[in-house]
Amino acid sequence: MDVTIRDEGDTKVVVLQGKLDTNTTPDVESAINSLLDDGVNNLLINFENLSYISSAGLRLLLATAKHMEGSGGDLRVCSLNEMATEVFELSGFTAIIDVYASEQEALGGA
Amino acid sequence: MIIREHSAFRLCWDALILVLVIYSCVLIPYQLVFLHSVELVNNRLMQAIGLVFLCDIGLNFITSYRNAGVEILDSKTIRKHYLSGLFAVDLIANFPMDLLVAAAGDPQVGGFSAILLLRLLALLRLFRFFVILRRWESLSWTHPGYLRVFKYVGVILVLTHCIACLWFASASIDEFPADSWVVVANIETSEPLSQYIRSLYWTITTMTTVGYGDITPSRSVEYLLACVIMLIGASLYAFIIGGLASLLGNLNAAKNSHWEHIESVEQYLRSRQVPASLGMRVHRYYEYLWERHKGLNERTLLEDLPDSLRLDIMLHLAGDVLRDVHLFKHCSTMLRNTLLVALKPATYAPGNYLAREGEVGKNIIFITQGEVEILVGEDEVSHGTLGPGDYFGYLSLALKEHRSASIRACDYCEVLILDKSRYDEISTEYPEFLQVMKQVSAEHSGRASQLLLEGIVL
Repeated sequence: MDVTIRDEGDTKVVVLQGKLDTNTTPDVESAINSLLDDGVNNLLINFENLSYISSAGLRLLLATAKHMEGSGGDLRVCSLNEMATEVFELSGFTAIIDVYASEQEALGGA
Repeated sequence: MIIREHSAFRLCWDALILVLVIYSCVLIPYQLVFLHSVELVNNRLMQAIGLVFLCDIGLNFITSYRNAGVEILDSKTIRKHYLSGLFAVDLIANFPMDLLVAAAGDPQVGGFSAILLLRLLALLRLFRFFVILRRWESLSWTHPGYLRVFKYVGVILVLTHCIACLWFASASIDEFPADSWVVVANIETSEPLSQYIRSLYWTITTMTTVGYGDITPSRSVEYLLACVIMLIGASLYAFIIGGLASLLGNLNAAKNSHWEHIESVEQYLRSRQVPASLGMRVHRYYEYLWERHKGLNERTLLEDLPDSLRLDIMLHLAGDVLRDVHLFKHCSTMLRNTLLVALKPATYAPGNYLAREGEVGKNIIFITQGEVEILVGEDEVSHGTLGPGDYFGYLSLALKEHRSASIRACDYCEVLILDKSRYDEISTEYPEFLQVMKQVSAEHSGRASQLLLEGIVL
């Protein structure tokens, strides 16, 4: 799992590549927690290169969304592949986390 | 005009005919043998009854009948069927020949009234008894077992009565010779009812092979008659009582079969030294199944039915589910019907697991009755409950992950199960299905996300 973080205006964009499963989630979690600890308020997670997401990955996203909701921040995700979209929708998480078709769209709505 | 064989009118008429058939079969031999006179008992009544049976012949010409399960309503076919069937028997049984004889007074034949002898033909009305019961057996609300018991009992009573009359007639036809059983028993001058009771008593003791020996045949004709009656009694009672016992046993066949199954399971559990408390849980589960489903397995019971008929039954049975389970509220009629046919009902007793932690999710389970508890870890820490209308299993299916919690029934639970293969088929055939699932998930995302945050995948 590769985690790339870059700035797009006041938004931190986290690009994930590979599989977000039980083994890789702790690395991503520590990367995201560092951003949250630094007081990042606008976070966009790009799933474009993510091939698989497990319940551990979903849990990380939910926990992040909950944290940011508590701190008045904003979490968005974008470019979900078919599998991730289905899991998101079947889990009902699209009602909790803002999902966008592309990074451009997500940043435009920021 | 055609009368439907299961119409209310025909049912009431048949009930009347049934009563009159039994009345005729009892009264006519009794009147002939014990009373000897047409005037002593209900002569006018017997003529009125004869009139009712003549009306019945008329009605039989316009009453529908069943052929290979199909009700025949064509009047010409009905007439032909009756004429080639029981019409001749009905005519002989009910033609008022006694009135013709009565016009010539009441001639005596062998010491018996000719009118009463001719009325013996009315015993053929017994055929109508069987026809009516066969017609009633095809009614949906009657229990064929009870009707068969009624038929057996009716035949036994009428036969016993007729033999009792015949036994007394064997003496009375020869005007009570000194060595006849009636004279030996000293009842030749007794009241007719008393004579009948003695005769009936001998008949029953002989036919049931009890034979106390207080009344015995003494003349050749009586010995001969006794032999015939004993043969009839032995064979008929073996046949009828055996059939009756089998029928009575079958009336509770479902219950007997259910309890036999429980005994087999309990015997197995004992032989495998399963703890008594677990055995008791199994026992209670079967008790509940009996109370709730009368021991019938809905799963296998409905499998034989065509889909359309099974769907109608499921729609009827699933009234509460359709109302309570959110998924169905958003489905189109086609998708709802497909789901209902695909769903398999199951029952869980308190303490039974609907799903185990660590297993791969292979189905989605809809709870229709009862409450289940979500348990995590070896210590089975409770993470709340799910109740009627809730369902689980879709996340484990979608993520292809092992369940991270067990689901245990708190009380008796009725559920509907959609297995993975049917889930995949329906998802492919009805893209709407996934949309509906997503819509429902979005509406209940709070609970789902809370469970997931607690590390629970169901």
